[in-house]
Amino acid sequence: MNREENVLEMRAVSKMYSGRSVLDRLNLDIPAGSVVGLLGKNGAGKTTLLRCALGLARPQHGSVTILGEPAWNLSASAKEHIGYVPQNPQLYPWMQVRHILAYTGSFYLRWNPTLVDRLVREWKIDLTRRAGTLSVGELQKLAIVMALGHEPDLLVLDEPVASLDPSARREFLKVVLAIAAGGSRSVIFSTHITSDLERVADRVAILQGGQISFFGELGELKDQIKLLRLTSTNTFPERFDLPGILRQRIEGNHALVTTRSHTPELIGQIESRWHATVEVQDLNLEEIFLELHDD
Amino acid sequence: MRMAAEFLFQVFPTSGLPIYRQIVDQVRRHVASGRFRPGDFLPSVRQAALELEINPMTVSKAYSLLERDGIVDLVRGQGMRIAERNETNGNDSLRQRQEQLLPLLRQVAAEAYQLSLTGKQVRSLLDGVIKELDGK
Repeated sequence: MNREENVLEMRAVSKMYSGRSVLDRLNLDIPAGSVVGLLGKNGAGKTTLLRCALGLARPQHGSVTILGEPAWNLSASAKEHIGYVPQNPQLYPWMQVRHILAYTGSFYLRWNPTLVDRLVREWKIDLTRRAGTLSVGELQKLAIVMALGHEPDLLVLDEPVASLDPSARREFLKVVLAIAAGGSRSVIFSTHITSDLERVADRVAILQGGQISFFGELGELKDQIKLLRLTSTNTFPERFDLPGILRQRIEGNHALVTTRSHTPELIGQIESRWHATVEVQDLNLEEIFLELHDD
Repeated sequence: MRMAAEFLFQVFPTSGLPIYRQIVDQVRRHVASGRFRPGDFLPSVRQAALELEINPMTVSKAYSLLERDGIVDLVRGQGMRIAERNETNGNDSLRQRQEQLLPLLRQVAAEAYQLSLTGKQVRSLLDGVIKELDGK
């Protein structure tokens, strides 16, 4: 694989389920070596996006390229380099954990038993239990180990931490960070837990209305989206006509404006145009997410 | 001398201030307070990322901004070294020094708002605090 390229390219991808549009001409490019958090409300289509990316669902329109190959016709060798943890892993309930791991490993040319043993120990996974007796969280841990065993170049996780307890979540985040520290492998994970994303992701993709409404560095997002508190001696107009406004609430000579294009120039412009004092307030990812979804 | 990142930096991932800015601010503060001396090394990107449990790209972004601003030098094979105190370091323009204070002031402003304190009330408090310091 050419590491200079994007690990994933989605172009004008549309996916409908029984007439309901889930993805609508969606574009997304994910460069190699990045850890991307995919954020969206329940039902925004995160799982659909990931399934289309992996060739597990076929979009009606558009093209999906993963590791340089069309997703719908992935070669066995491309699959060797992808790890996937679905939201609800379906394993073999009658099999013991150690047998599941051995069975999974036998499908891969490149399987790292040392890594698998280490994770099993660290995560206290009981090798002799039958999969059918594991809790949701334990199943999820096992599925993550299975997806890591062949050291994939691209790891795709659908809500990986949803059923993990805080300490298992922390352990999982450490694994993702160790992958990120290598610098060459990529991770895409969907979540609605913004605090995990803020720690490990270097980029964030926000899925909204079937499209990616923001894709970029997390720090950049926080630098751009700010809440401005305006106070003036005069009365403000009913609406501000400024670029990049996400939301505005105005009452007399007070106003709260959320902007997606914060610059010192913008502040200067507001100060001089409306004789206002401007207080710039930082927003964390959860607050930004809420501001973006206020409709 | 190289210290563990955990002792040097405290990051708040869920703050509205991007993590890379938190690191930049803290290095600047450590330099100003003398905790970092010229010749000291910052923890490596990898070490800092693993210890602070944050993405390594975030750390390298912070370090490259510090390098751009002349706070640290990249020493080949050894990492980021606190630069000698030079003209840019000691004599930051008024504007630059004010900007360093901004994040803290924003926090104060937000807290004050929540406590329903007016700007005037906060300013008089601040004046008092500054007077206390000056008196010492």
